[in-house]
Amino acid sequence: MEAIRHPGPTPDAPEQGDTALVARVTEGDTGALRELYDRHAAWLQARLMRRCNDPEVVADVLQDTFVALWKDATSYRGDGEVAGWLWGIAFRRMVSRLRKRKDVVLLSVWEGPARAQLDRTLVPAAEDQALLGVEYGDLAGALRRLSPEFRAVVQAVVLDGLTTREAGRLLGVRENTVKTRLHRAKAQLRGSLAEAALEDWR
Amino acid sequence: MTTPHTTWHADDDLLAAYVAGELDPIGGASVEQHLTRCAECRVRIRPLVDVPALDRTWLAIRDTVQSPVLPLPIRVARRLGLPEPTSVLLAATASLRTAWLASAVVALAFAVLAAAWSSDGVIAPFLLVAPLIPVLGVAAAYGPHEDPLESLVVTAPYGRTRLILLRTLAVLASALPVAVPLGFLLPGPVWLAVAWLGPALALVPVLLALASFVGPRAAGATVAIGWSAVVLGSLRPLPATWPVEATQQVVYLGLAALAGVVLYVRTRHDRQIGAVL
Amino acid sequence: MNAIDLQGVTKSYGRTRALAGVDLSFDRGVTGLLGPNGAGKTTLLRIVATSIGADSGTVRLLGRDPHGTHGDVTAIRRELGYLPQELGYPSDMTAFGFVEYVAVLKEWNDRTRRLAEVRRVLDLVGLGDLATRKVSKLSGGQKRRVGLAQSLLGDPRVLVLDEPTTGLDPAQRADLRRTLSVVAGRCAVLLSTHQTEDVAALCERVVVLAGGRVRFDGAVSEMIRTAEGQVWLADDPGHDAVVSWRTGTGRHHVVGGMPPPGAVPAEPTLEDAYLLMLGADARTASARAAPA
Repeated sequence: MEAIRHPGPTPDAPEQGDTALVARVTEGDTGALRELYDRHAAWLQARLMRRCNDPEVVADVLQDTFVALWKDATSYRGDGEVAGWLWGIAFRRMVSRLRKRKDVVLLSVWEGPARAQLDRTLVPAAEDQALLGVEYGDLAGALRRLSPEFRAVVQAVVLDGLTTREAGRLLGVRENTVKTRLHRAKAQLRGSLAEAALEDWR
Repeated sequence: MTTPHTTWHADDDLLAAYVAGELDPIGGASVEQHLTRCAECRVRIRPLVDVPALDRTWLAIRDTVQSPVLPLPIRVARRLGLPEPTSVLLAATASLRTAWLASAVVALAFAVLAAAWSSDGVIAPFLLVAPLIPVLGVAAAYGPHEDPLESLVVTAPYGRTRLILLRTLAVLASALPVAVPLGFLLPGPVWLAVAWLGPALALVPVLLALASFVGPRAAGATVAIGWSAVVLGSLRPLPATWPVEATQQVVYLGLAALAGVVLYVRTRHDRQIGAVL
Repeated sequence: MNAIDLQGVTKSYGRTRALAGVDLSFDRGVTGLLGPNGAGKTTLLRIVATSIGADSGTVRLLGRDPHGTHGDVTAIRRELGYLPQELGYPSDMTAFGFVEYVAVLKEWNDRTRRLAEVRRVLDLVGLGDLATRKVSKLSGGQKRRVGLAQSLLGDPRVLVLDEPTTGLDPAQRADLRRTLSVVAGRCAVLLSTHQTEDVAALCERVVVLAGGRVRFDGAVSEMIRTAEGQVWLADDPGHDAVVSWRTGTGRHHVVGGMPPPGAVPAEPTLEDAYLLMLGADARTASARAAPA
């Protein structure tokens, strides 16, 4: 039996911005949720897999994230990109899920892949290398010199967008400790970074 | 604020390496930060991830999102073994929602407080309210036969009578954990905590029988007024526990039986094709 | 054995005789029920939908007697889809939630199959993406389509639709026609409407009810033929016409009576035949609900 399709109440413009889609989700439009899923689920999954390589946990977190988006779409204030907001939801859900599962841990993104040195080593094109250098300067060296605790704080707060208090809970330390470590880490890295890139980070 | 790298995009090789976990930490962090800002690269990473897993997750999301959320009391019942289709049927009942049950708790709590704080332990408020909670709950659980809302229920295989009886049982069951614990806090003999069950289990069939004549709303009001008259009328002349003493309980039992007979007779003589209630 | 068989069916409400002896049989295909308000259309549909019982006469649905055993009536209801004239929705229910609720009432106990079936019927009526909206927030036509969706659950063998086109715009009515034409292959569809154009477009067969009795029962083309030679276009209204009106072109469409001078015969429509059949009463009873 042929399904009869009607255009939704808002005609599907080819590039409806993410913000408009979220607004439609608040009105109960599952088509908009599907579109947001199509746009964001893939990169969210990839990024989550770098934090925890258990595909089942990642799938559950992804599901929770979009169900949460459906229920709380009104809490999106329109400040900042939808992508960043979604990562905030996803990562916090992952953290709380991992707290319950003793057998799965949050991976550190600072450990380079052991494999990469052995078989397939990716050498970015010279152009890319130069541009990466513009973004982050000689960060690799500076980060290597940081202690693991400092690196963990940088990952949680700077890369993943947790508040200092949430990072404290995740890492099992007091909030003040997080702030101190972050401050010291940034001070140590400051010498190696372009100012613009640092401002980008916060 | 504008950043110098807005014209830079990750090429497919870089993205593939990122997905495969083969990038060094800085490269990985760089790609990640870029993806939060660049819709185009987010599209380009799509075919590089585990697409069947993404599709499976979408189906699970869709099911969760389309199917309505069950109210808390029903979710609890489900954990205790309530069959899944039954939970969908009960979820549509207003008197099984958290708000309703919460109001019942509040009303009973006030009744208990009134008994605890008064100098002579007046239990009338409790005896008045406790049996009416299931009665009013059942009256609110369905509409009259001619209600536009009910027209589909009448013509469905499940059966309207069966649905109403299901809801009645559910309302009664939900009233117990609310009223009995609070009843134990009453001053006076311990059996008071469950004594209200006698009138409750009688008034509900009376309500149903009456509702088959005048509809649930009018029947609910009548029963509520009648019971109030019994409790308040016996307040002055008779002891406080009179409404629930043994003799009265037997009378209630008789009433319940009578109501059952009325319902049975009505069902036999009804031309409404099984929708007497 | 016909899907629907009615013989000598009567029904009264107090002193009002809604049906005064109706003999009708329906099988697969779409039949339109036409008639002025109070003609007994809704009563007839409610009897076929087993919502109420007939006072006297024989009713057989899919070979069973709805006034018989509980088992008989339940067996009928398993193959029945019904869209009542007025449908109420519990407040704050979504379209999906409502159709799912009805699906459980129709004994779809397996959750996975039930959700798939609910999606199927909602897609059929074009409400796929709006399914998660609260029904109270939908337009009148969308609400009607939710009602239509639930009637299609489980591919019923008898489909009773009471005024399904109310609140639908022409595009949606065309969609309904498409849906019904597919369904009609294995289903006896009985629908009532005020719009003769719907009957002309949707139905092969038409039954005209008035005053609780059947005035006509036959093919749509047959009914149109009854108006042959009695419809004209003229410059002035005939003075003993059954009904006439001024068309957009300035000429008068005259039905019945003697042709006024200078009249040109016009191709009769179903509406003309309907008006002729029922006389001027049909006109006042909002038979021409749609603007010309």
